[in-house]
Amino acid sequence: MKSFKYIFVFFFLASLASCSSSSGNWGWYVIDPTTKSGLANIKFLIGGFGATILLSIIAAFMSIILGLIVALPGFSNNFFLRSLNRIYVEFIRAIPLLPMLFWVFYGLPVIFQSLGLKIEIDAFWGAVITLAISDSAFTAEIYRAGIQSISRGQREAAQTIGLSQFQAMRYIIFPQALRRILPPLANQFIYIVKMSAFASVIGMQELTRRANEIVVTEYRPLEIYTLLILEYLILVLLISFAVRWLEKKLGSNESNSN
Amino acid sequence: MKEVINIKNISKYFGKFKALDSVNLNVLKGEKVVICGPSGSGKSTLVRCINRLESHDEGEISVLGHSLTDDRTCLESIKSKVSMVFQQFNLFPHLTVIDNLTLGPIKALGVSKKEAKERALYFLDRVKIPEQAYKKPNLLSGGQQQRVAIARALCLKPEIMLFDEPTSALDPEMIAEVLEVILDLANDGMTMVVVTHEMGFAKKAADKIIFMDDGKILEENIPSIFFKKPKTNRSKKFLDQVLNH
Repeated sequence: MKSFKYIFVFFFLASLASCSSSSGNWGWYVIDPTTKSGLANIKFLIGGFGATILLSIIAAFMSIILGLIVALPGFSNNFFLRSLNRIYVEFIRAIPLLPMLFWVFYGLPVIFQSLGLKIEIDAFWGAVITLAISDSAFTAEIYRAGIQSISRGQREAAQTIGLSQFQAMRYIIFPQALRRILPPLANQFIYIVKMSAFASVIGMQELTRRANEIVVTEYRPLEIYTLLILEYLILVLLISFAVRWLEKKLGSNESNSN
Repeated sequence: MKEVINIKNISKYFGKFKALDSVNLNVLKGEKVVICGPSGSGKSTLVRCINRLESHDEGEISVLGHSLTDDRTCLESIKSKVSMVFQQFNLFPHLTVIDNLTLGPIKALGVSKKEAKERALYFLDRVKIPEQAYKKPNLLSGGQQQRVAIARALCLKPEIMLFDEPTSALDPEMIAEVLEVILDLANDGMTMVVVTHEMGFAKKAADKIIFMDDGKILEENIPSIFFKKPKTNRSKKFLDQVLNH
């Protein structure tokens, strides 16, 4: 399965390269590492990896914590707390990422200003906050599904051996739910990596922004955006492999009769 | 003899369905009570009310002198004194057998790790599977899993044991090994309330047999009379079906 992916990527690249030799539509010189300008372009484009990765990791981390904070009131017996969870999830889930990004980056500072707060939001943190909040609605639902998937019998058994509700969650429910939560959570990380491209529109110097800038100066959109797509492909494949490895280690793919 | 469970006129509704209808039952210390009856007759619900897995809507239940209410302190006072064995075992699949057994004593009763482990090994020996202590439950057969579940319940040193159809999910050849363990406990003087269809077990172990249908107790009798001369037509019909299979 793994080798299949590599072979696919190889053929994809090979077919693109062959296009360039047989027709005049492709101009790979723009990122030809043997020329000085080509090498400079490549360095500039690849330089966006750092920002994209950092942005995604911080946003994912915040989303994982925020999602748990949002999910917990959803298990309460209290109607008010449960409603808070539902309202947050439904509301945040309904907002498209781009408008939310604009609201956080351009709108939030206005609110801060009117409150007399001197908090500035730069492109990086604007993107991190937006991605984290937007994604937290989904991670909260992943937690909920994972925890609810643990059978009622487990909760009852925990109760009959004298555990409190908190202890039952801590020792019985959550450890079992975690194996089911991790794979979809990792999926969500892939989603964040891809959505981080939106940060380019508020001037964040990540992969997509850099690609746009070279396209404007070199006017070779086909080659540069092709490379951009490959850059994301590499990132996502790496995460996929890491997730598979993690799943194997945790035994998430084992069937569990209880 | 001291009365350990006293159920007065309890009723329980699931929506409009009346699962328990004015049920009265007394259990004395050391007594073995077997509850039988057709599916949906309210047997399990009654047992689950005794340790508050279900709450009753009308009437009163007192267990070991504590009246059962929603009050947390009442649950605290009976917790771990009433233990339960489920039809589906409900072992914790992510923990080894020994951890299944020690978790309750350590976390709920504050027993030291060392003592909890000794206790666990003692009861594993008692249910005749000491060699399985460090395995995960899914590597055990159904009968072994249920015996682990019984040992887990015993580790809390309960005063009352509840069994909710402990052999119904087992293959026929495994029923015997589980019943043997339960019978052994019964001979030891443990107070037990057992929901079961195993009439052979009831004959051997029960001090008292309760027959339920439609959420009501139709008959309460000693085994020797219940099996020879059941009081109601309904219990006679039930016995015919269960015994002639």
